Amino acid sequence: MNIDRNSLQRLAAYAIFCIAILSVPLFVSDAYLLNKFARYIIFGILSLALSLSWGYTGILNLGQAASFGLGSYCMAMALKLRTIPIQTGASGLPDFMVWNNVEKLPWFWEPFHSYTFAVFAGVAVPVALAYLIAWFVFRARVNGVYVAIITLAMLVVINLIIIDQQRFTGGFNGITDLTTLSVFGVDFDAYSPALYYLAAVTLTACLFLGLALMNSKTGLILQAIRDDETRVWYFGYDVAAYQTFIFCVSGGVAGFAGMLYTLVMEFASPTFLSVPISLSIVIWCAVGGRASLLGAALGAIVVTGVQGTLSETPAFLDTWSLIMGALFIIIVLFLPNGLVSLVDVFKGKRQSVATRLVKPVAESEAQRVAASQQNSVT
Amino acid sequence: MADEAFLKLQDIAVEFGGFRAVNGLNLDVKRGELRCLIGPNGAGKTTALDVICGKVKPKAGRMVLKGRDITKLPDYKIARAGVGRKFQVPSFFRELTVRDNLEVAYCKRLGVFANIARFRRSAESDGLEKLAELVGLQDFLDHTAGYLSHGQTQALEIALLLAQDSDLILMDEPTAGMTTAETMHTAKILNALRGRHTLIVVEHDMAFVREISDVITVMHQGKVLAEGHATDIQSNQSVKDAYLGSGGISHA
Repeated sequence: MNIDRNSLQRLAAYAIFCIAILSVPLFVSDAYLLNKFARYIIFGILSLALSLSWGYTGILNLGQAASFGLGSYCMAMALKLRTIPIQTGASGLPDFMVWNNVEKLPWFWEPFHSYTFAVFAGVAVPVALAYLIAWFVFRARVNGVYVAIITLAMLVVINLIIIDQQRFTGGFNGITDLTTLSVFGVDFDAYSPALYYLAAVTLTACLFLGLALMNSKTGLILQAIRDDETRVWYFGYDVAAYQTFIFCVSGGVAGFAGMLYTLVMEFASPTFLSVPISLSIVIWCAVGGRASLLGAALGAIVVTGVQGTLSETPAFLDTWSLIMGALFIIIVLFLPNGLVSLVDVFKGKRQSVATRLVKPVAESEAQRVAASQQNSVT
Repeated sequence: MADEAFLKLQDIAVEFGGFRAVNGLNLDVKRGELRCLIGPNGAGKTTALDVICGKVKPKAGRMVLKGRDITKLPDYKIARAGVGRKFQVPSFFRELTVRDNLEVAYCKRLGVFANIARFRRSAESDGLEKLAELVGLQDFLDHTAGYLSHGQTQALEIALLLAQDSDLILMDEPTAGMTTAETMHTAKILNALRGRHTLIVVEHDMAFVREISDVITVMHQGKVLAEGHATDIQSNQSVKDAYLGSGGISHA
């Protein structure tokens, strides 16, 4: 009974959140604000992707920004190719390639003439990368902090390659001056409600699909892996297969978020797959509540929202990063499970989760001991 | 089939950096038997269990389960072949409820995609509730496992093994940290399991061992020192010597 009510309450919370983000354009008509909110929501998707692997399965992926950035570049490449006749005439090359004396469009750019391929690649490339890393890491049963180090190193390598291969990637500048995505007669302009809705619907879909996944037995086994990986191996489950699966799902979602991010920002840049972004994702997740999809998404929206507001307020121009730091410390100290644990604090005004659970255990333990003593006497 | 050994270890040797923890271990266990493994500290009892469940790979020797050579199989495939393991330190899922712990242990389908469309409270969970009742955790089904007492976590891990329903169950000190009453209850459970399951139990508590054992195997310095029924073992001189003489194993 209790369980059912809890999961109903959770569903209700998710639904309210989704209705709230979907109704934002009804109240906000300022295009600049809407663009900013779309950005926050995309960070929410990115943070949710990390909570799948970190919060639920215990895999701390410090290279999450790599998936995000690769997705972003896939979208940018497709949009860039559509600008060719306007910017570079008939030669058929993006402008930065002309500047870098490239003579022929590289083979891996060719398929990006198709939007369908670009959208497919925006998910498939991060998934393939995740699969490759997972194959090496999880087959060898590498876990804990080593996974974090390996994924971080991978991120740095990819970042360096993209900056280094300026002729094909635009280097430091990234891929700029993109066209607007328009499919099925809808223009996904960076400042349009259409793009905001696209981001909000994606987040909604991710939340509910993620919730369904984590309530399936597969999701249960993933959480079991987080708690005690060895125990799960000895039940006969191929833990590495489960870890690989969620690592790929997480990478794919992050890649999709990256594509949306290109649309919102109107460019792709190596800063999208930089270490600072990757670490920010971890902070968003931790602040919101890493073992909750809604918490992780909310964490990203709240942190980036507060950050944006503070950094744009003249009074906090010099101090906003200090204030953010202080907020993180306070949350980590007093709400180690993130903002979502505020719900437990408010709900039913109970003193603490621990006393609620331990007390009945202790009581019935005493009863059981007393009962067995009586038995042994008689 | 009945006479053929269910589990057979032949000349198993395990080395840890030059130290031979297990040195030429031979062990035959019949189907449905409840075998107790005892011996002084460092005799290689836990290592023997580690070898059987695949946690440690032997340097030499051969291991056959139900006529199938499992020496080279990775741990999770040994588990699939029908070996369940209870660890010395209770090992379970702290942040999941007792019910979800049991649901994970109930592992008839193992694949990622076989489980993706299955939602938790399945028809099978009735059986899981009966299991919880058997080990005395029926009132705690919806509690987070991390808040259970130590004795209860031992009971929980035994329930997990029952849910896993392996043919061969390995238990490393299942009663450590239990009250006397809980220990006796555990003995009752193990006695009920024999026959349908084959069990190998490592224990120090001799009262418990006498309660459950068919055949006791005494290990010493990585080898089998003696094998037999409790009474034979207690009067065996070499066993007494291995336990530093004085009171024999009744004071172990």
